[in-house]
Amino acid sequence: MATEAAPMDEKAKRMRDLLSSFYAPDPSISTGGSSINASFDNINSTSFDADQYMDLMIKKSNMEVLLQRHVQMAAEIKNLDTDLQMLVYENYNKFISATDTIKRMKSNIFGMEGNMDQLLQKIMSVQSRSDGVNTSLFEKREHIEKLHRTRNLLRKVQFIYDLPARLQKCIKSEAYGDAVRFYTGAMPILKVYGDTSFQECRRASEEAIEIIIKNLQTKLFSDSESIQARAEAAVLLKQLDVPVDSLKARLLEKLEQSLDGLQIKPEDASKLVEHNDSSKDEESNNQGPAKIHEDAVRGFSEAMRAYREIFPDSEERLFKLARALTTMHFENMELYIKKRVSAADFLGIFRIIWEDVVLMDEVLPEAALSDLSAEAAQVTLKQFVARTFSNLQQDISDTLLKFDINQKEIVDGEVLKVVLEASRKAVLQGTADIFQEFRQLLDESSGIFVKMKDFLVGWVQKGFQDFFRSLDAHFLVLSGKTSSSNETEGKSSEKIHAGLILVLAQLSVFIEQKVIPRITEEIAASFSGGNSQAFENGPAFIPGELCRVFHAASEKLLQHYIDTRTQKISVVLRKRFKTPNWIKHKEPREVHMFVDMFLQQLEEVGKEVKQILPQGTFRKHKRSDSNGSNTTTSSRSNTLHSDKMARSNSQRARSQLFETHLAKLFKQKVEIFTKVEFTQESVVTTVVKLCLKSLQEYVRLQTFNRSGFQQIQLDIQFLKAPLKETVEDEAAIDFLLDEVIVAASERCLDVIPLEPPILDKLIQAKLAKSKEHNNNTVPS
Amino acid sequence: MQGGSSGIGYGLKYQARCISDVKADTDYTSFLTGTLSLKEENEVHLLRLSSGGTELVCEGLFSHPNEIWDLASCPFDQRIFSTVFSTGESFGAAIWQIPELYGQLSSPQLERVASLDAHVGKINCVLWWPSGRCDKLISMDEQNIFLWNLDCSKKSAEVQSKDSAGMLHSLSGGAWSPHDVNAVAATGESSVQFWDLRTMKKVNSIERAHVRGVDYSPKREHTFITAEDESGIHIWDLRKAKVPVQSLPGHTHWTWSVKCNPEYDGLILSAGTDSAVNLWYASSSSTDEKASESPVASTRQRVNLLLNSYTDYEDSVYGLAWSSREPWVFASLSYDGRVVIESVKPFLPRLK
Repeated sequence: MATEAAPMDEKAKRMRDLLSSFYAPDPSISTGGSSINASFDNINSTSFDADQYMDLMIKKSNMEVLLQRHVQMAAEIKNLDTDLQMLVYENYNKFISATDTIKRMKSNIFGMEGNMDQLLQKIMSVQSRSDGVNTSLFEKREHIEKLHRTRNLLRKVQFIYDLPARLQKCIKSEAYGDAVRFYTGAMPILKVYGDTSFQECRRASEEAIEIIIKNLQTKLFSDSESIQARAEAAVLLKQLDVPVDSLKARLLEKLEQSLDGLQIKPEDASKLVEHNDSSKDEESNNQGPAKIHEDAVRGFSEAMRAYREIFPDSEERLFKLARALTTMHFENMELYIKKRVSAADFLGIFRIIWEDVVLMDEVLPEAALSDLSAEAAQVTLKQFVARTFSNLQQDISDTLLKFDINQKEIVDGEVLKVVLEASRKAVLQGTADIFQEFRQLLDESSGIFVKMKDFLVGWVQKGFQDFFRSLDAHFLVLSGKTSSSNETEGKSSEKIHAGLILVLAQLSVFIEQKVIPRITEEIAASFSGGNSQAFENGPAFIPGELCRVFHAASEKLLQHYIDTRTQKISVVLRKRFKTPNWIKHKEPREVHMFVDMFLQQLEEVGKEVKQILPQGTFRKHKRSDSNGSNTTTSSRSNTLHSDKMARSNSQRARSQLFETHLAKLFKQKVEIFTKVEFTQESVVTTVVKLCLKSLQEYVRLQTFNRSGFQQIQLDIQFLKAPLKETVEDEAAIDFLLDEVIVAASERCLDVIPLEPPILDKLIQAKLAKSKEHNNNTVPS
Repeated sequence: MQGGSSGIGYGLKYQARCISDVKADTDYTSFLTGTLSLKEENEVHLLRLSSGGTELVCEGLFSHPNEIWDLASCPFDQRIFSTVFSTGESFGAAIWQIPELYGQLSSPQLERVASLDAHVGKINCVLWWPSGRCDKLISMDEQNIFLWNLDCSKKSAEVQSKDSAGMLHSLSGGAWSPHDVNAVAATGESSVQFWDLRTMKKVNSIERAHVRGVDYSPKREHTFITAEDESGIHIWDLRKAKVPVQSLPGHTHWTWSVKCNPEYDGLILSAGTDSAVNLWYASSSSTDEKASESPVASTRQRVNLLLNSYTDYEDSVYGLAWSSREPWVFASLSYDGRVVIESVKPFLPRLK
C-alpha cells in the first residue's frame, strides 16, 4: 500500500509545483504539506527514493505504525487530489474570462481605419492652399524690400552731405561728442568715396574736425575745465586717432614738476607747523603755508584723479609719482627730526603728511600708499623715538659736563651740589617730558597712528630700556672707569674731576630709587600692553634689571671715586716714603708736611662728599671740647703704647710677634674693609681706612733707624686727632694707626719711642703753626 | 665669600714675604719660604706636602744670614735657590745650595753657590727662566737689570750684560717670559717695560703706574697679567699693549701679587693686602666676546669671574705660588708668617 501511495504523492507534488510557479503559491497548502512531510525523509525533494523510504519505514516501524501511516497517507492523497481539482477549475475559469475579453477587443477595433483616411485627406488640402497664398504675395514683398534699401542709402548720402554743416553746428554749440560721433560714423564712406563723389564734402568736414581737435586739445590742457570735460576731450581725441601718448607724457611731466613744490622742506617744516596752528585759530583767514600746501596737494591729487581717468593706462606712472611724493615726505621728515623736534611739531608734520597720503590714497587706492606710508611712518617714528632718547642722554651729559669748566670752584663752592641737582632735574624733567611727548603721540588718533600704537608702546618700552643701559655705559665712560672703544675719548675722560664721579654715583642711586620706579609707573599707566610681537622675548622694559644695573653702577662709581681719591693720596704717601733715606733719618723736629697734604686731601673729599651724599643715620656725638679731651686720650694711649714698645724691645722677638698676634686676637680682627654705603661718613671713613692701610704697607717696605721710627710715630700721633674728627669708625682708625706704628717698630733697627712730653710738644707746635698759618691766610 | 679654613697651615717663626714652588722636585709637592726679620736669625724652610695632601711637613730648616725679601727656587735643580736679602742698610743677592744629607745634620748650613754682588741699589728680585734648564739668571735693582751666567759646578756667577732703566723708572720687580728666553718684563714706577736680553734694549711697554705684580700666562704666549695698587688686575695682550683685554676688580686694598696657573688656562690667583687670596677665572673666550656684550651681561660675568675668595688670613698676603707638580694646589704666605696650602680642585669643574 505504501508503494502505491508513493507515486501518487509524487505526481501531486509536481502538479502543485507547476501551478505555484504560475500563480502565487497558496501558503496554507504548501505549509500544510511540508509540515506533514517534514517528519519523514523529505518526500517533496527531487532526490526522494521511494524504495529506500519504504525499506526504512518497514525496518523501523511495527505493523501498527505502518497501518497508521497508511491511513494517514491515504488521507493526504485525497486531500491533494481535491486541491488539484480546485486548482484546475480555477484555471479554467480564468481562461474563459480571458477569451471573453479578447472577443470584445476585436469588435471594438473594427471601423477605425475609415476615420483615419478622412483625416489625412483634410490635412492635404490645407497645405495646398497655403502654398497658393505664398506664391501670390511674393512679388509684392520683394518690391517693398528694394524700396526700403534705396531709402536707407539715400538717407546716408544725405547725412554725408549734411556732415560739414552739422559739424559746424556742433562746434558752435561745443557738442564735440556728437561731432566726433558723426564724423567717425561717416568715416568709412568718406574713406571709400572721398576722392570721387564726396570730395567737397570730405574736405569741409575734415576742416571742421581739425578745428574740433584743436579745441579739444586746448580743452584738455586748460586746467580751468572740469575733469569730466577734460577726460571727455581726451576720449574724443583718442577716438579721432590723434596721438595721445605724447600729450600724456607732457601732462605727466608737468605733474612731476609740480612735485617739487609739494615738498615739505625741513627748513620750512617748523614754519609750516606754526602756521598750521595759527591758521586754525584764525579760521583760514590767513592763507598760511599749511593751507597753501594743503591746497597744492589737493590740486595734485585732483590732477592725478583726472589723469587717471583720462589715461587709464598711465596708472603705473601715477603710482610712481604718488609713491615718490610719499617717500619724499618721509625723507624730509627724517631730515627734519635730525634736529630737535618736539612731539607736537612732529605730529603736526605727520598729520600734514598723513592728510596728503589720505588725499592721494583716495585717488589711487591701488597704489597701496597707505601701506607704503605706514611702513615709512614706522621707520620715522622709530627714529623719532630713538632720537628723543639720545637727545635726553645728550641733555643729561651736557648738564653734567657744563659745570666742569672751573675745577677749582668745585672744592670750595657748592658746585657739585648744583651739578647734582641740575642733573637730577635733567633726568626727571627729561623723562617726564619724554613721557608727555610720547603720550601725545599715543593720543594721536589719525589713522596711521592707531595702527602703530602697539609698535609705539613697544618702542617706548624698549627705548627706555636701551636708554638706561646706554646711560649706564655713558656714566662709566664719563667716569673714566671703562675707557671707551675710542682711545682719544678715553683719554679726555680721564681728566674728569673726581667730584663728578661722586655726582654720577649719586645720580645712579637717584635713578635706581626714584626715576626707574616712576617710569615703571608711567609705563604701566599709559604704555602697557602693546603688541604681542614685541613681547615675544618678554616685556621690553624690565625695571628690575635696570635697577640692578644702576645699583651696580652706583656702587662701581662710588668705588671708583674712592679709588681715584685714594690714588691721589697714595701719590703723596708714596713720595713721602720713597724720597728720604729712612735708615739715616735725622731726629724728628716737627711733624712732616705730608700730613698737611694728607689732611687737605681728606678735607677735599669731605667737602665733596658733603655736597653730594646724605648724612648717615648713625652720627657719633660731637665732642664739645675736641682739643682738650683729645690730647689726653691720645697721650694716654701713647703711654700704653710706649710701654708695650719698651717691653717688647727687651724681650725676644719671638715673643714680640706672639704678643702682636695675641693683641690682634683680643682686639678681634677689626673689620677694616667694610662695605661702602652711600653716606658722607662711610665714604670718608673708607678713604681714610684705605689710606692708612696703604701707609702701613709703605712702612713695611722700609727699614728705619731710631729717628725714622720716631718721625713716623710723631706723624701718626698727630694724625690721630683730626682723623678721628672726620671718621665715624674710631676703633678701626685707632687700630690702623696702631698698626702703622707696629709696622714701623717691626721695621726699625733700634726701637726707642719718643717720650710723650716731647711728642705733645711737637704736636702742639705744629697745631700752633697751622693755626697761625690759617690766621694768616684767612684775611687775605 | 666663604672663608672656610679648608687649607693646611704652617707657621713660620717670624714675618715673611716670599714663598716659592720647588719646581725641580718631581717626587713631592714642596715649597721654599724664607723669613723677614730685621733683628732675629732668619730661616729658610723647605716644606713638603705629605702624600695624602693633608699635612705640611717641614723637610728642612736652614738659617739664612739676613732677612729675605725675595726667594726663588731653581727650576731645574731642587737644591738650588736664590734669595734677595737685606741687612737693613744694604741689599744683597745670592744663589744657595741646600747641602746633601741635610736631614742628618743637626744644624745644616746653606752652601753659598754664588753672590750676585754687582748691584749698588736696592735689589728687588732674582729671576730664573721658568721653562727649563738655562744657565742664565736675571737680577734687578731699582735702576739696573743684570744678566748673569751661572756655573753651578764652578760656583761662580758672572755678569754677562747689564742695562740701566734710567733713574726715573725705579724698577720694582719683574717676570721672565716662559715662552721666550730673551724676553723679560720689569715693573717700574710708571710703566711695565719689556726687554730683549740679546740686545738689552726695551722693546715694548705698558703705560701703567704702580704695578705690584706681573706674570706671563704659561699657556698663552701673548697674555700678560698685571696687579696694581688701586686699580685691580688687568689682563693684556702684548701685541696690543695699549688697552687691557680684561679687567678684574682685584682686592679691596692693594693687589700685591698675581700668578697664572701653570696648567689650567685662565685660572688666576691674586693676593692682596686686604688679607685675602682671590681665585679668578678669566676665560679667553670671554675676553674675545667682551666687546659685543651688553653691560649687564658683562657685570654678571664679572661676578662669576671670582671663583673664590680665601679670607682666612690675619695679615696682608704677599707670598703666593702655584705648585707645578700638582697644579690645583697653591701656597700662600701672609705677613705674619703663616703658610696656607689650599686646593682649588672644587672649582675646576666650573671652568668648563
